Amino acid sequence: MGHLIGTDCYQDHLLNVAKSIVLAIHKAPQITGKTAIEAEILWGEDLIPIIEVLEPLAPVVRYLQWDYETIKGCYEKGQSPVIINIGGKVNRSNLNWNCGACGFDTCAEFNAYSKEQGGGGQLGGPCCNWKILDYAIACDWACAAAWQHKVDNRIMGSLGFALQALNYLPNSDVKLGLALGPARDMVYFSREEIRGVLTYEQDKMDMIRSIPTMFAGFPGGGNPMYKTKQDWWAPPEFLGVGYSEAAMEILQQVLYEQVPEIVVKHADRVAARYADVSSGDGNGDE
Amino acid sequence: MRKYVEDLDFHGEEHINEWTPWSPQDIRRKKGVLEAARLMANSALTAPVAGGVPQTEVQLVYGQEELEAIARKVEEIAHKNPAWKEPFLYEAVMVRDSDVVVLIGNTRCHETPLDAGCGMCGGGLDCSHFYEQKNHRYGLVDTTDRSSSRMIDGPLCTARVDDLGYAVGSALWTAHTLLVDARAFASVGMAGQKMGYCRNSGMVVGVLVAAKSKNPYVDVNVDYHLINMDKVLDNTRKIYQTARIIRGFDYRKWIPKPPKTSQEDE
Repeated sequence: MGHLIGTDCYQDHLLNVAKSIVLAIHKAPQITGKTAIEAEILWGEDLIPIIEVLEPLAPVVRYLQWDYETIKGCYEKGQSPVIINIGGKVNRSNLNWNCGACGFDTCAEFNAYSKEQGGGGQLGGPCCNWKILDYAIACDWACAAAWQHKVDNRIMGSLGFALQALNYLPNSDVKLGLALGPARDMVYFSREEIRGVLTYEQDKMDMIRSIPTMFAGFPGGGNPMYKTKQDWWAPPEFLGVGYSEAAMEILQQVLYEQVPEIVVKHADRVAARYADVSSGDGNGDE
Repeated sequence: MRKYVEDLDFHGEEHINEWTPWSPQDIRRKKGVLEAARLMANSALTAPVAGGVPQTEVQLVYGQEELEAIARKVEEIAHKNPAWKEPFLYEAVMVRDSDVVVLIGNTRCHETPLDAGCGMCGGGLDCSHFYEQKNHRYGLVDTTDRSSSRMIDGPLCTARVDDLGYAVGSALWTAHTLLVDARAFASVGMAGQKMGYCRNSGMVVGVLVAAKSKNPYVDVNVDYHLINMDKVLDNTRKIYQTARIIRGFDYRKWIPKPPKTSQEDE
């Protein structure tokens, strides 16, 4: 006898689906058989640090804005997405294949470079290409497992950046986040949460900047006019290319001031999560 | 509605068996695997990739001569690096034991990177690690000089290589779903690329596919390149012929029998 009704029952089940997906991540086949992969499941209030890290980036990076608005919007509606953090150890090669794919003649040279220069990228790096293939296969199996369960999902570099910045799964040097649910159609594609966030004019300007050839006039003169408005010929407008101090300044400010501030705010709490987890396979929160 | 004669003539029978190799019944089995491999290729093409950018090419290779050529290339590569030698020699055996080779390549990782400054290739906040080692003009990479002292002409855009992993993962997922045995191999990818398969790609992974009573890619014995089913069969042919010769007889006149027991005499 029993009775289940409402969002709570399927939100609970989402967590079980997430556990099945983590199983698929660990079961995923590897090419090298030597790449350490780990995963953890986050939801509810534990998404707050991630949302906070994405917030200052959202106005600067459009694709990141969509992820931020969607995750924040769902969370605020009481439909918390469940996020699987997938981590991999890929910045050293223990293969000794010396294949050259990384740009170095030997794995030893790559490892020395990685030790000196590594970890400065938005998503970590540098990476052994064969290990990143193993990692990507695991991420792909996570997506496929989610679709198998008919759960809306999307693998996100934006979440990867936030998880990396906040030092979740500290043993891993590459991270991506797989956002799952809530249970409705097309949460992470054709996104409802971004409705009304931008004006039509902003949407149009995104298109002009991203696909300028669509708006180019006759190029025979060598400096085509651009059709950016209804009466585009009066007066004509031209495309300019140049260094943008303002754009770079905003980016620097976000990456080197605002994000670190948020990271510091949550650092102790995030670190405490892993204090009792000795191996990379552990799931500190479960 | 037009009806085709063959639609009205729908009957037949097919004997399918993995033994003997390359017999009609075995080739019918292989054709089933080929269908699975084609679906794997579709899965690779529809795998999630950064920005939804088309960047995957697939080549299916099958047939005795074609697989033998790949196996020999894998063996050639095996001897170029002590770290490869034994595993790659084992994998050459697996190529011969496969039904179809699915080669999956990424057409952008060496030429048209993601350009997102993700840092995955070099660990920095821009794409300089890639471009500084490439022959390019204002970011347009010239790939016409295809000579390289390296097995793979890196550096590659690691974000694109990551996408290649998704393509391979999806192909493997479909293989699992269809219950055909499949595994991804670096050796087969490198051999395929050197042979000119997936020629638009900067990096290639080879997925071997088979549907046999024993999965060819697991449970290998020691010295697998020397002791495997082909070698065991060949060794049987070597030993058994001589065994016949050393104790031959004219079966029309006499056939050796064990001596009769006392009970049989009574």
